[in-house]
Amino acid sequence: MLSQSVIHDVITAALATGGDFAEVFVEDRFTNSLALQGGKIESSLSGRDYGIGIRVFKGLQSVYAYTTDGSKEGLLKAAGNAAQAIRGEKIIQPAQLQKEIIPAGHPISLNPREVEKLRKVDVMKKAYEIAKNYHSSIQQVTVRYLDEEQNVLIANSEGKFVEDRRVRSRLAIQSIAAEGNQMQPGFYGPGAHRGFEFMENLNLEHYANEASRIAVTMLGADPCPSGKFPVIIDNEFGGVIFHEACGHGLEATSVAKENSVFANRIGEKVASDVVTYIDDGTLANEWGSITIDDEGEKARKNVLIENGILKGYLIDKFGGRRMGMESTGSGRRQSYRFAPTSRMTNTYIANGKSTPEEIVSNTEYGIYTKYMGGGQVNTTTGDYNFAVMEAYLVKDGKIGKPLKGATLIGNGPKTLQLVDMVGNNLDHGAGMCGSQSGSIPVNVGQPMIRVSEMTVGGTKGGE
Amino acid sequence: MNLQEFKEKLFQLGGQHGFTDMELYYEREEKFACELFKGEIDSYDTSEVFGTSFRGLYEGRMGYAFTEKLDEESLSFLIENAKENSQFIEDEVQEEIFAGSDKYESGSYYSSSLAEVTIAEKINLLKEIEKHIYAYDERVTGTDYFMVRSGETERVLLNSKGLSLSEKSNHAGIYVSVIVKQGDQVKNGEYSKFTRDFSILNPEEIARHAAEEALSQLDARSAESKNYPVLLRNDAASALLQTYIPIFSAENTQKGQSALKGKTGECIAVASLNIVDDPFLEEGLLSSNFDSEGVATARKDIVKDGRLITLMHNRKTAQKDGVESTGNAYKASYKGALTVAPTNLYVNPSNQSYDELVSSISEGIIITELSGLHSGANTVSGDFSIAANGYYVSDGKVQNAVNQMTIAGNFYELLNNIEAIGSDLEFSLGFMATGYIGSPSLLIRELAVTIE
Repeated sequence: MLSQSVIHDVITAALATGGDFAEVFVEDRFTNSLALQGGKIESSLSGRDYGIGIRVFKGLQSVYAYTTDGSKEGLLKAAGNAAQAIRGEKIIQPAQLQKEIIPAGHPISLNPREVEKLRKVDVMKKAYEIAKNYHSSIQQVTVRYLDEEQNVLIANSEGKFVEDRRVRSRLAIQSIAAEGNQMQPGFYGPGAHRGFEFMENLNLEHYANEASRIAVTMLGADPCPSGKFPVIIDNEFGGVIFHEACGHGLEATSVAKENSVFANRIGEKVASDVVTYIDDGTLANEWGSITIDDEGEKARKNVLIENGILKGYLIDKFGGRRMGMESTGSGRRQSYRFAPTSRMTNTYIANGKSTPEEIVSNTEYGIYTKYMGGGQVNTTTGDYNFAVMEAYLVKDGKIGKPLKGATLIGNGPKTLQLVDMVGNNLDHGAGMCGSQSGSIPVNVGQPMIRVSEMTVGGTKGGE
Repeated sequence: MNLQEFKEKLFQLGGQHGFTDMELYYEREEKFACELFKGEIDSYDTSEVFGTSFRGLYEGRMGYAFTEKLDEESLSFLIENAKENSQFIEDEVQEEIFAGSDKYESGSYYSSSLAEVTIAEKINLLKEIEKHIYAYDERVTGTDYFMVRSGETERVLLNSKGLSLSEKSNHAGIYVSVIVKQGDQVKNGEYSKFTRDFSILNPEEIARHAAEEALSQLDARSAESKNYPVLLRNDAASALLQTYIPIFSAENTQKGQSALKGKTGECIAVASLNIVDDPFLEEGLLSSNFDSEGVATARKDIVKDGRLITLMHNRKTAQKDGVESTGNAYKASYKGALTVAPTNLYVNPSNQSYDELVSSISEGIIITELSGLHSGANTVSGDFSIAANGYYVSDGKVQNAVNQMTIAGNFYELLNNIEAIGSDLEFSLGFMATGYIGSPSLLIRELAVTIE
């Protein structure tokens, strides 16, 4: 993508004013996105992103410059702009760059760039037909298709020089059911760190039917009661609750400055005994997987909480400086337009001993949430919230009527202590996570769990 | 390759491949951001990027592609991909390349005095704010987000029908989030301000706003969960409005994703509600003389005296509805497809101050912050159930901060349940905003409030 000698010169220029570390990130990304609405392809967009990010550290100061100008002059100018922020004398010479070959952790068999768009359109149309024909109340179906090939080169003043190719594919199906004045959406968006083979092997029947089933079910749902209830959260995308409740709070971004409720608590009991929480970037071909992170560190499996005890954090290079800790292979960014920071990959609650049937039958009165929407957390206070896409009332150990308009709110550390049952049906769901270094693909996952008490906000008012 | 040269080669190659009408859209952006943590520069970002997108009619259908590299390889990449992309488009109404409006406003949204503000001056402003933050109260222990940002954008639109438009704009802004501790309570409070006039950024005032916001969250208590009158403070009101702006887009009504379909001319809100989209607002961050397909922009009433006057249109949605474009064609960047979005859109303020609104409440809740709007608000049905922070009010006085809450209701109903509108219009540029949205505080007759 760029020659070693040009990169060496850029790193040297970036260190000219006294930086103690410099890094170059080169990105060349090809994307295709198509949208189908009402059975017709409405947009088809292809593009090429290309840019370079240059980062310099001096102690606890981080400087970042990026540009789309890939000429040597353009890069030296950007390096100069970065160096300008640091005032001092040159203190280090960059190490000789050593090219390192890292075998792809997530093999791709069918590069989407080499697949005719017509085949992509076929997949979308099939999904549309299934979703549309699910029920007469399905009024509108939108199908989005996305593939990308991101080629990166990462080099730094410590001599690192690595390249990586990340190929990802995703299909997102949104159904809208309508009746009278009522409209309800349902959504499903499977994705993987795979090529077009992912689309060819995808169980379209399942995903498209589920998107429509959720919309139709919610059309007939009662308004959700509000108050404090035991809440059963089903597996797969249900894991978004821990992504918000504790995943973000374990990122160096907030831990390093001691702005997180989890700062300085390694070895302490932060969750109930049944909770083991893991971030694993190495899971084969999963949506949130990486071979190397965006600082060139190999992906790994990081156990964050083990049987309720806090074991570790998600750390990037710069956050690690303030914390006096090593990177955990968690430096990620949306693109060259963002300096990397500590982020999640595939994060999940490990399997427990209960069966889903046991969890439900042990719940006298509460809420069962089958599919979650997105959420948000304030990492300083630990307060989080998230939307429920599909929920039901649980009464006398049985799942009852569907409920709409449920929002769960709470405090991460408190919720972690209140998990009293963990199921044995772990599964993962694909999502996008937005934070300081942009929007990145992540998986959230869990088996079915039960929280003994959560605040449920609904439209029906207090009960 | 420079832009002009790239355009000529591209249009020539496009012509050879059978494209009839073609457009090249170009954006160049310079940005600066600096974050401070306890007196030291924590991060410092500087960037200069550009990119182009090509749009062209091939066999009567519009194809798209974009690139951030202006080289020979990109010429064929754009043409081949746009050609392939055009073949799947099945919309009965096609986009077209626009020859241009008769007249464009000549407003300038580029401040040369802002461009002259040095990086040192921007960092000094942060340092000043930080001093005032720590001096404000001994319970202030730190900051999390604490940054200054500035940016400059240049847009150019060139097409084969002879249209050639360009425009430059700039802005600067401050984000502050202050952390306070009292015993084992930790709270934070945020404040942000964007402007084209750097001199209005008063460090003492910014520090006071953010610190007060954080301190006011301490000693939060619970209260009964029930339906209350709710005062959405200006920043919370504009955040909610921002989330529901898509319902005013003709693209969404045409797709069955907004309940305002066919409601133009009808009453959709209380008579005191007026919503305006004004692309010529002097301080507006999305001010512009032409939209993303080259149509001259215009100031317009969206809602007047409670009546829906018009939806927002681009040329394609206008053609489908048999009306004129309102100049609201929008591209998130050269990477995006053409869609519909507001420029600077706001609710007209009245003459009642925020304090007057508070004193009119016998028992109610003030909402100062909403979170999880991207997931808790359903723009299709209008239903929302959103996490919130704020205060409990009784006898016209703020009594205390309230534990985390949710407020739930329906936006379409809320428009008819506005009891009073404040005089305190404030704009906010949200997290994922497609528009610069403003609102004064809004007093809502009743919403379901659940308190932790």
